[in-house]
Amino acid sequence: MTALLSILAVGLGTYLSRAIMILSLADRKLPDGVVVALRFVAPAVLSALVVALLIDAEGQVAIGVPELSAFLLAGGVAYKTKNHVYTLIVGMTVYWLAGRFG
Amino acid sequence: MMPADREIVRRALRDALPLFAPIIPFGLVFGLAVTESGINHFLGWSSSWLIFAGAAQLTLISLLGSGTAAGAAIMAAVVVNARHVMYSAGLAPTFKNQPTWFRWLAPYVLVDQVFAQASLHLDDAPRDFRVYYLALGSVFWIGWQTATAAGLFIGPIVPAELNLGFAAPILFIGIVVLGIDTRPKLVAAVVGAAVTWLTAGLPNRSGLLVGAIAGILAGTIAERVRR
Repeated sequence: MTALLSILAVGLGTYLSRAIMILSLADRKLPDGVVVALRFVAPAVLSALVVALLIDAEGQVAIGVPELSAFLLAGGVAYKTKNHVYTLIVGMTVYWLAGRFG
Repeated sequence: MMPADREIVRRALRDALPLFAPIIPFGLVFGLAVTESGINHFLGWSSSWLIFAGAAQLTLISLLGSGTAAGAAIMAAVVVNARHVMYSAGLAPTFKNQPTWFRWLAPYVLVDQVFAQASLHLDDAPRDFRVYYLALGSVFWIGWQTATAAGLFIGPIVPAELNLGFAAPILFIGIVVLGIDTRPKLVAAVVGAAVTWLTAGLPNRSGLLVGAIAGILAGTIAERVRR
């Protein structure tokens, strides 16, 4: 029962966090300053998310040669080819190889 | 469905496919967490459609399983999910031209991958954006339900050494790179990552929020300096 109620509570909280700005701001005329700031949401949050995904249980960012080399090459491939499949293949291959032989 | 829509759906599927790779191991990890938590398996899996947010589900289920008080577990999961408020804000201007039903439905499937990919299509025609977004959302919804269900059975037997979860940060790097078309956006991305790193010790990865806000501010300032 506790588990069910907890899941429902988090489900509601998750939906609200995703809906609140869309529902409350879509019909408003936003100040120009805010519109400019919103353009930076995607690059700022997604790159912050990349780092956050590497945080381990001790609160350290677990990044070494395999991660860094994979990021650099995957970023380069994404820039050159604009293709997610190539980005993924190159990134994971570099990561595995650097982890094994690096 | 009009022929043009079919083309958009096809493009959405093509864009979504590689983003799928990290969902599979994540779903397996989650399934494993459910089986270890002592929570009813069907109920644990049901969080996939009741919550539909992998990181928050994993946080909630593992904390409940470890005997954490429900209130604290719920709080932790909500903090993990707070970044969605920023996704919602980032998409809000695009929803100005969308019908009410879509404004209420879209947030339900606003997971990281959908936001990341949709953020590259903010200036599409309203109908095109809607078709693209719904196709993306459906793919990730179905994929997540399936992966977590499978995880209940095969999560316990997949070798951890493959580190398939690393596919997620790799793909997000790619999407960040594709979205950077001005110097202020580059500033936002670099500051966002750096500040998250500096605040990594904060509980429940909430440094992510500090980093994201710092990145947005830095980008805004850089934009102002440029003018």
